[in-house]
Amino acid sequence: MAAALPRALTALAVGASLWLVGCGGHEARTLTMRTALDAGNAKAAIAAVDEQLDVDSPKKLPADIKGDNAILVLDRASIQQGLSEFSLSQRDFEAADKAIDMLDLAHNAGDSIGEYVFSGSSGRYQAPPYEKLMINTLNMLNYLERRDLGGAKVEARRLAVLQKYYRDKLERPENPVLGLGSMLAGFAYEQSGEAEEALRYYDDALAFTGFRALGESVRRLAARAQYRSPRITALLGEGPHDAPAQDDTGEVLFVVGHGRVPHKVANRLPIGLVLTLFASSLSPGDREAANRLAAQGLVTWVNFPSLAPGRGKYETPTCTLDGAAVTLDQAVDVDAAVREEWKSIEGKIIVSAITRLIARFAVGQGIQAAAGKDSVVGLLASLGAQATLTVLDEPDTRSWETLPARVAVARVRLPVGLHHVTLDARGWNRQQDFTVTKGSWQVVSLMALR
Amino acid sequence: MNVRSLLRPFFAILPLSLLALTSSGCGQEVVRGANDPSIDGKAMSTGLDKEDIQRALHETLNNLRIAPVMNEWRAQNPPPNVAIFPFQNSTSEHIDSMLDAMLGEAETWLVESGTVQVISRERQTQMIREVEGQQNAVFNPANTAKYGRQLGAKYLITGKVSGNDERTDDARRVQYFLFLQVIEVETSVIKWQRKTYVTKAVR
Repeated sequence: MAAALPRALTALAVGASLWLVGCGGHEARTLTMRTALDAGNAKAAIAAVDEQLDVDSPKKLPADIKGDNAILVLDRASIQQGLSEFSLSQRDFEAADKAIDMLDLAHNAGDSIGEYVFSGSSGRYQAPPYEKLMINTLNMLNYLERRDLGGAKVEARRLAVLQKYYRDKLERPENPVLGLGSMLAGFAYEQSGEAEEALRYYDDALAFTGFRALGESVRRLAARAQYRSPRITALLGEGPHDAPAQDDTGEVLFVVGHGRVPHKVANRLPIGLVLTLFASSLSPGDREAANRLAAQGLVTWVNFPSLAPGRGKYETPTCTLDGAAVTLDQAVDVDAAVREEWKSIEGKIIVSAITRLIARFAVGQGIQAAAGKDSVVGLLASLGAQATLTVLDEPDTRSWETLPARVAVARVRLPVGLHHVTLDARGWNRQQDFTVTKGSWQVVSLMALR
Repeated sequence: MNVRSLLRPFFAILPLSLLALTSSGCGQEVVRGANDPSIDGKAMSTGLDKEDIQRALHETLNNLRIAPVMNEWRAQNPPPNVAIFPFQNSTSEHIDSMLDAMLGEAETWLVESGTVQVISRERQTQMIREVEGQQNAVFNPANTAKYGRQLGAKYLITGKVSGNDERTDDARRVQYFLFLQVIEVETSVIKWQRKTYVTKAVR
């Protein structure tokens, strides 16, 4: 009976290991994609994602989008947007949006247990608020590029549902990425002739920096809408008191995303160092158990994710319209939102990594105890099981890696006629001719995900 | 302690390994609705599906069949021209294609009823382009009456869908309010209107 226990425990440990075999980690799955993007080769990046999704064309969705494939589809959506393939990007964003929403709503206690016992990446993916809000924001941009105001307003409403949920149900502070989303939503409603709704969205955008250029639109809308707020009232008090005259002009919105948010990388640090860095995040019991482990040597490694450096921090995008420079205002620093969110959850992630380490140690102790205190086989089986579980403990490096690090905007009124714009960021550029007619509107964007 | 006893724990895991290998690679099945009608009954998302559209239309068109405006149409000779314009989607779901399908079904029902002459939708698209201009050739609900007049339509059939979308930690619910209406072009009077409700949820 006593001899059966180590066998059972070893079987359990290796069985759990088998369950995790094949998970190379999200970071590894996207390495080729990131390398291609770094080289400015968006098409190669899409091919790399397609390979991971096991599809032979960017026009195809994977057969299974329920799990981590949803994040890859999201990655592909951003890159398609960078290639001005707005229709494909829109399709990918919507498929990923639904899949990520279903993951978010799923409730499975096994995920949490797996995350705390076997591997950080074994739980279901829960997108952080900025990712969910950016899905609707960037897809709104796709609809606006395609001049589909109805579709853009659907995305605006989806964004508002999430905003309300985060604010009212989870009592989270307003996320800065909402500034860009609200500005685009306001633009969609303004161009649809729905002044009240447009003003409400612009009011939300004005809560964040980078949207002072909305002044003219707000004044024009305020002349035919009743909605007022302290911010709107203050803005109306600052500038000219009359609404701008209607003239023979059209309006153009330029949106430039550049760089990429930091992705997650796997770290493997000795327990002693981790305790030095994060001891304050642990409960006294866990800290004591972890301290006992610190002397074990070979198998006392903690596996946890951290953020890699972002890309394109010091880059300034440019907009050249009919040969003259147009100033782009930074609308959102997504990179900062990612870091802020990470800071708030990093402690919990380290704790779960150390909890897994303690669980591995307990498995080893169990095997040793069952085999007998002085048993060499028991010691080897114990160390073997712990070492195997350590190797297979995959830090959760899943995230939407192709989110632009920053987004800048410019809004201009142009005289009727043919115009030419060049948007440039980090060596990627888009050149576009467009015709302005009286009262027309246009959105031209560039996502330089390098 | 011999080699055999050292290897014994690893023999113990053999059944688990085989189970893992055999369970991987299970394929998905493609099913035809004609062979398995139950697949249409299952809700897959919070969007509108065939079942929702058919339920909503069944109720709505049964009401139109006995509405006074239908009797007016039956009495007119030649039958009046009717144009069908897109639904206004004011929900948080991309359901435009399903709303088009709904109008398509309503159009078929009207054509088969023989009480009206339905103006083709291609002609309507051309008219929208003429009214809105090439640059902004998108349907504008505010100009519906203008399109109708230019098309020579006496009546318009259109609709709107509003939605209430709410979510909690583990559930999302969308309530749809669908309105179908008949508008007299000359007077802009709503001659008939019917509402139906559809609720979908993920929980």
